[in-house]
Amino acid sequence: MDEDILTTLKILIIGESGVGKSSILLRFIDDSFDPDQTLTIGVDFKTKRLCVEGNNVKLAIWDTAGQERFRTLTPSYYRDAQGAILVFDVSNHSTFSKLETWLNELDTYSTKSNIVKMIVANKIDKEKREVSREEAMNFARRHQTLYIEASAKTRDGVQAAFEELVHKIIQTPGLWESYGSNVQLGNKDHEKEPSSCSFCGLV
Amino acid sequence: MDYDLPTGFDLIIVGTGVVESIISAAASRIGKRVLQVDTNNYYGGHWASFNLEDIQNLKQENNIDLGKQFPKNLSNEEDFIPLGNKLKCFPYFETEWHIAEEDSIDVLKIKQENLNGKENVVLDEGDKSKLDNDKKEHDDCADKEEDESVVQGEIEEAKEVEQNLNVSTQELLKKDYRKFVIDLCPKLHFARGNFVELLISSNIARYAEFRSVSRVLTWINGNIEVVPCSRSDVFANNKVSVVEKRMLMKLLTSIEEEEKSATVPQNTTFKDFLKNKKLSSNIIHFVLYALSMSNDETIWLEGMKRTKRFLGSLGRFGKTPFLFSMYGSGEITQAFCRLSAVFGGVFALNQQLHGIVLNKENRFESLKCGKQNITASHIVMSVGAAPVSFFKNPTSSLISRAVLITDKSLMDSEQEHMTLLLYPAGNKLITILELGHLTGTCPKNVFLIHITTEGSSNPKEDLEGCVKNLFAFGEQDSNPRKPKVLWSSYFSIPNTNELDLKSSVPSNVFLCPGPDLDLDYDFSLEKAREIFLSIYPDAEFLPRAPDADEIVIGEDPETATEVRASNSNLDISKDTEKSVEEERAIEQSSETELAIEARASCSELDTPSETDNTTKDALKEVEECAEAKENMQ
Repeated sequence: MDEDILTTLKILIIGESGVGKSSILLRFIDDSFDPDQTLTIGVDFKTKRLCVEGNNVKLAIWDTAGQERFRTLTPSYYRDAQGAILVFDVSNHSTFSKLETWLNELDTYSTKSNIVKMIVANKIDKEKREVSREEAMNFARRHQTLYIEASAKTRDGVQAAFEELVHKIIQTPGLWESYGSNVQLGNKDHEKEPSSCSFCGLV
Repeated sequence: MDYDLPTGFDLIIVGTGVVESIISAAASRIGKRVLQVDTNNYYGGHWASFNLEDIQNLKQENNIDLGKQFPKNLSNEEDFIPLGNKLKCFPYFETEWHIAEEDSIDVLKIKQENLNGKENVVLDEGDKSKLDNDKKEHDDCADKEEDESVVQGEIEEAKEVEQNLNVSTQELLKKDYRKFVIDLCPKLHFARGNFVELLISSNIARYAEFRSVSRVLTWINGNIEVVPCSRSDVFANNKVSVVEKRMLMKLLTSIEEEEKSATVPQNTTFKDFLKNKKLSSNIIHFVLYALSMSNDETIWLEGMKRTKRFLGSLGRFGKTPFLFSMYGSGEITQAFCRLSAVFGGVFALNQQLHGIVLNKENRFESLKCGKQNITASHIVMSVGAAPVSFFKNPTSSLISRAVLITDKSLMDSEQEHMTLLLYPAGNKLITILELGHLTGTCPKNVFLIHITTEGSSNPKEDLEGCVKNLFAFGEQDSNPRKPKVLWSSYFSIPNTNELDLKSSVPSNVFLCPGPDLDLDYDFSLEKAREIFLSIYPDAEFLPRAPDADEIVIGEDPETATEVRASNSNLDISKDTEKSVEEERAIEQSSETELAIEARASCSELDTPSETDNTTKDALKEVEECAEAKENMQ
């Protein structure tokens, strides 16, 4: 039942264009892979339930919608995220070098100071590798992030990446508790209002 | 930039203000190839929001010549019209601190005394910084130890003590600079206004959160009074006599008939109209300045229309008719930009725009952006980016603004309010918004004040009287009731909503007005719709976007529906320390606010058309239910 959902977590996927952010997302969500996928259009965010150590959580995983290409992600994209997945392509060293910039961006805009970060080395199925595991792990250690190697193409590491991230978020006190009730515009007006008498109009 | 921009588009949009962003979302939504560029490195233009550090930098940036953003000496081979005009600048901009940079010895002494006076807490500054360091070390550890919560608890206590002292220094506020979200142009939404309806019908509401304004105040006879909005407010108000209550109820309940039956000349002012009704001066004040937000010169029909708008938006989301965007008004442009990007819009900020090339028929052909020449069938630009030659008369009226950080609320109360204060000043109405930390726009224990009015000289002079009456600066004002100003900024923004943005402009170029004096976005929305329909006359304006997020692929498809974690599920966190977020959540949940979602009801449907109908039906149902409720009461 729905009640057993512990919480809803907002997870971001960031990183350079073409490193496979949407591919990782789609592999995780529908276990699909499109080798010809070019630029991301029409992927907003996807949701999926995940059970980590007996806790049911719902993940809302936000894609960049292509706005990372010219580094124009809006500050509101980062708002209230509990976890961030930073993706680079092991066959392209420049995507690895840019991680530093992405970490800075995350520090600038993230509204939760203890947001959990994970670096995902994608495309490990490729033969030619420009970034070694050791180099990447050292980087991750220096920046205190989680690290995992993955391939959206072969499915390797994708599920584990999300599970480990969620595990860490749940372990972090104060990070994931429900955020209270602001007004979300939609159609379930009024019903939940306990004291509607004070809200009635004059007319 | 690592990549060159693509170069062939249906529509280029220069600027990321509200009007531009709505058009961008609408065009991308119907499958047009859209490029949206901005010379600034932030979203929003004159509608943007900044943190406390960035807004002070803005002051300096504003002094830089426009030539940096719109360099003109590019090429001589082609005939192009340079972009940019002075409407992009702020005619006036200043910021000022009104408190000491750091703790003086005296302040430290007071703190010390206070700290020692508190039982169980014997911390001096040294201890506190030690704790801070401890905390850092702990954060740095990959695995957190259980004793951290103890340390955290002590830190919280120390912080509390510090805050209770109510002594702010620049140092303290600067430390929290990122918690400030300072709008250049703060706006409210009428709960049943066109803008809110659009956010819901287009499904853009999912990118933003809102808070209802919890009280409306007005300045009357040298005092601040609560404006009665609802029936219970009217009866609870002890400043309004029983006779006046009856008069007010009568006027408000019969406003429809009044409008039809009234036999007054067209040009009668609303003020005279109300006076003729033999209403008391208190009631006239409430209706004229607060409910209808008119001034002494507003024509009665307009006044009636505005009063109806106010009343019509009551009872939907909170005690007042207004909503405010959590984390500031800048979120609104970003929400539209996000939708545009999801539907393929390409975004580039921080661009150098040189000019545009027109063909022999005086139609727009391409935009010179950096080293590139980008073509499109149409171009939309913010008024400040437009070539000077596009205006007959590029002067505008001004909006005078002040932003203050204060140490307490204008009207203290147990619960934190989000306040709208309407302050009549002669022929002008000054609107004041007071935001507390629950709006996500400032840290705890301070308030953010936005003051807006029509500009006549410089903003400081325009607002001097009002600011002096309401706030205190330093030691000069001994009235302890007034909030003390810790930081202030005064600036003016061009008000372009009355400029002629059409007659000297090529037929495939469209100019978007900037901010206006209205409380809401209705004017901007209408302009955006108008421009969109001029370009794409047969297209639908922002039809409902499908919910990509609603199909939840879970382990159990039967129960895969949208849910929000409720607070009752959070027992597991009982033994963890109370974080700021948690405290905030508790405070928020204790408030009586509505959590409503259009999305949940249609989560299990497959086709968008079905989704549409269900939402509409559900909406209708809810509206009817609400009406029934109101009638019953």
